[in-house]
Amino acid sequence: MSWYPAFSQQSNVMKENHSSDSDSLKSNPWHKHLLCQLCQLRLAAALAAALGEGAERRRELEQRAARSRALLRRWDSEEDEQPQPEAGSSSGHENRPSPKELEELELLNRALEKALKVRKSILKTPLETQGATGEKSAGEGPAPKNAEEQQVPAPVEGIPKSTRVRAVSRRPASSKKPSPYQLRAPYRTDPDVKKLQRKAPARCVSHGPRAAGKSSSKGVACTQGRSHRTAISASDRETCAAAEPQKTPGLSKSALNEQQSFSVGDSAGGKNSAAAGGHLFDAGKKSFGSLRESSRKEDPTTEGVLGRSTSPRTVTLQEKGCQLKLPLPYRKAYSRNSRAWERCRLCQTSADAAAARNRFMEQIQTTFCSPMPAFSPAEIEEDLKVLQDVPSLLSQYVEAERADHPTLQREYESLLTLEGLQTTVSQCLHKLQLLRAAVESQMRLRPDCAGDVGSCSPACVLPRGQTCGSAGTLAVPLLCYSSFQELRDLFALKLRVSMLHQEIALQKVMMAELLPVLESRLYPEASAAQLYRAIYTQLCEGGKRFPVLVRDELAD
Amino acid sequence: DNQIRFVKSALWYHGYGRPELYRLPSDGSAGSRELLLAFSWLLHRLGLLEQLLARNRVKTGDETSVCTCEDGLPNSQKGPTELAPEYGLEDRVDVRYLQWLNGRLRFQWRGLHAQHQEQCKLLHKIHLFTSGSHMDQILGHFSVTETDLIRQPENYKQLLQLMESETMQLEAFLEWKQLEPVYWQWMETVLDNMAEEGNICESQDAHVEKSGLPKATSCCPWADSLTGQIDRLSRDLMTLRDQLHELITHRKAAWCEKVKIREEELQKEGFSATARKIQESVELKLLDLTYLCAPKKNKMHGSCRLVFRSKHPASKTGFGRSVSKEPVSAVSAAEVIRELQMREASLERELKQLQEECRQRLDEIAEGLDGVICISP
Repeated sequence: MSWYPAFSQQSNVMKENHSSDSDSLKSNPWHKHLLCQLCQLRLAAALAAALGEGAERRRELEQRAARSRALLRRWDSEEDEQPQPEAGSSSGHENRPSPKELEELELLNRALEKALKVRKSILKTPLETQGATGEKSAGEGPAPKNAEEQQVPAPVEGIPKSTRVRAVSRRPASSKKPSPYQLRAPYRTDPDVKKLQRKAPARCVSHGPRAAGKSSSKGVACTQGRSHRTAISASDRETCAAAEPQKTPGLSKSALNEQQSFSVGDSAGGKNSAAAGGHLFDAGKKSFGSLRESSRKEDPTTEGVLGRSTSPRTVTLQEKGCQLKLPLPYRKAYSRNSRAWERCRLCQTSADAAAARNRFMEQIQTTFCSPMPAFSPAEIEEDLKVLQDVPSLLSQYVEAERADHPTLQREYESLLTLEGLQTTVSQCLHKLQLLRAAVESQMRLRPDCAGDVGSCSPACVLPRGQTCGSAGTLAVPLLCYSSFQELRDLFALKLRVSMLHQEIALQKVMMAELLPVLESRLYPEASAAQLYRAIYTQLCEGGKRFPVLVRDELAD
Repeated sequence: DNQIRFVKSALWYHGYGRPELYRLPSDGSAGSRELLLAFSWLLHRLGLLEQLLARNRVKTGDETSVCTCEDGLPNSQKGPTELAPEYGLEDRVDVRYLQWLNGRLRFQWRGLHAQHQEQCKLLHKIHLFTSGSHMDQILGHFSVTETDLIRQPENYKQLLQLMESETMQLEAFLEWKQLEPVYWQWMETVLDNMAEEGNICESQDAHVEKSGLPKATSCCPWADSLTGQIDRLSRDLMTLRDQLHELITHRKAAWCEKVKIREEELQKEGFSATARKIQESVELKLLDLTYLCAPKKNKMHGSCRLVFRSKHPASKTGFGRSVSKEPVSAVSAAEVIRELQMREASLERELKQLQEECRQRLDEIAEGLDGVICISP
């Protein structure tokens, strides 16, 4: 859906420019929208904690990657690892935007103000529609617009992209509106800057930079839901991954050079391989192919080894990999170890022991409180976990059966399937009722540990539901993948699931904190609309898209 | 004191129901035999020893976790006071700061994604290049650690030591297995003794005690979160059930109509035989589904070693060869991917529901705002 005001359906509503906004833009951007202090802190704390975790993960990952990279190079040469851009990011981790970023934000705000003024003056002459179109385009920035049109043939995915196409084509039409209307600032410029990302194979479809008066959040919004898939399906998978983190520093460097382009937040953390950044920025301006090349240069370790290893004396893993042998002591230890594991795995409980054990267990069971609930808390949680994915799975099946079926047999099959699904649904509902009853009865039995919040469920400390005797416990846990693509999909999905977990948790915290603020009307009246819009974006669109707030002046 | 409470709640969590244990005083002064009984029960119930061995396995491979167990925000419980000093001076924390933080978070995720993808590439290369070198045929290739071990053996002395000590632990485990009958017989006697002693003084205070158990009804977050989940799932399933009901009645009516018209014709074609076949195939199709809905007893948790097995039989890491020797628990990436996709789908659904709820509430709020109309994207 388009956010651009011109494309809203209500064409006869007038939009108003908030001049008060531009005044405040000159001051510290955080001065507006003072929310209730305490609850904000909690939310900010949650976000900061999440950021901290993420930074740690990145550091860890970087270490592992460094080790692997070292292995793939020539082993004799002890090159110093040049600090990768990602490593630098963790060092500059702060919870406040750096002054540089605030500066950039200022400059951008001013640029947008100018554009707004230009636009206002243009709109005051609505008669020359054609001229208006042309000038309006000029006002908005012709280059980005053209660039955008160029990107349309680029690999596209998802609704937002096509919306932008529509946006471009509808723009001339909108200028023909007779009544003068004014944009409500801050607004987002449509020809947004993320064309640099868009050069990369359709990975990031952002909906434009944040409104100027608002935060300096990263405009590099990415429809995460599709990003991993499209990233995987992109044609240049291999180098894109390496290129991306190095590309974004380039963005931040060039932020102000671009017309109305900003990705202010990107420089957070101070990634500063300026050379790389500049280089990649230029690469990004050109075609997709050149981005490939530049990223190749940035990633010499693997590529260099592969193609252009010149000195024959040094050993590369690629050449000698299949002939390598582990050192003897390790091999001995390893084989002893794996034999021991195997013996343990195969070892059975003796019959006597089993008998005695079962007797004991039965005996002790009789001494338990007499009406024991059907499920232990561990089992309840385990069963719930299993059931969690059921509704969405079942609804997928149901959707599949909604289509019309040509033959009688197919229809019969579909009918049977639906009935089967119905049975499953009722079974699951029944199970849920049982679980609910079990929770209640467990609560009654519960020992008094009301003080300890976290200790009630030892989470994944011990895998639940696994009774002893399951032969799998002592076997070698292997995860076999059969292709590079599978490996990538696996990791991408794991990351996505983690991210979704976090998003959901954050969403709940946000709901609990931000909605009451709006509902209780504790904010200064002047900023009501902006506050509403900010909160709306955050809560309903995941911070990616903005609603359009339109001042209803027809009532006058 | 905390330890004792922890132990009690952990035992409750796994379904231990012996009231004597829960009545033990919190200072640890009495009840060693009860603890012994509880320990033995847990030993069998959870397969404690095996679990401990498996969890503490020396990791020489490229490990990654298989399960999707996650906690939410671990620090969300932290009071604002703890983190207040960070934002101390500036008390102008406002919504744009939050937006900024949010944006940084999203950016961080993308960075992580890129990093992971790069790591995959590196891993895969190493696996590929070292295929065929490992003495363990099942693995077939080296992990990063092992390759590094070749390159710089001096760094990994500790690893060797760990392996040795693990081997000793395993041997101790085997000895334990020999002695197991003795242990359980002993436990039986302990239980019998306790039962005898207990009977004498139990009958008086039994009734009093049972009613006196503290009922922590309202303030348990565990129960709340679980009931919340149960409610959400029930709601989802009930809407689904209603949808299905409607769809089925509709379709059934149409079906009966069609069948009535063509009844003789169908009989001639032997439709009942086809019908039976269709029934069987549908059952098979749905069997998969019911399997997914039922709790899996041997679901993998924890970390696994990544192993590359290409599907081409011609390659050195021949699939066919290793399958025969393969221990049961190798999980294929395809399975895990499927599960993750299911998880992803339901998480997305949940998120959308939350967002929808927000949207409704915000719409209500919007009506209260003066003179402003909100057009959602």
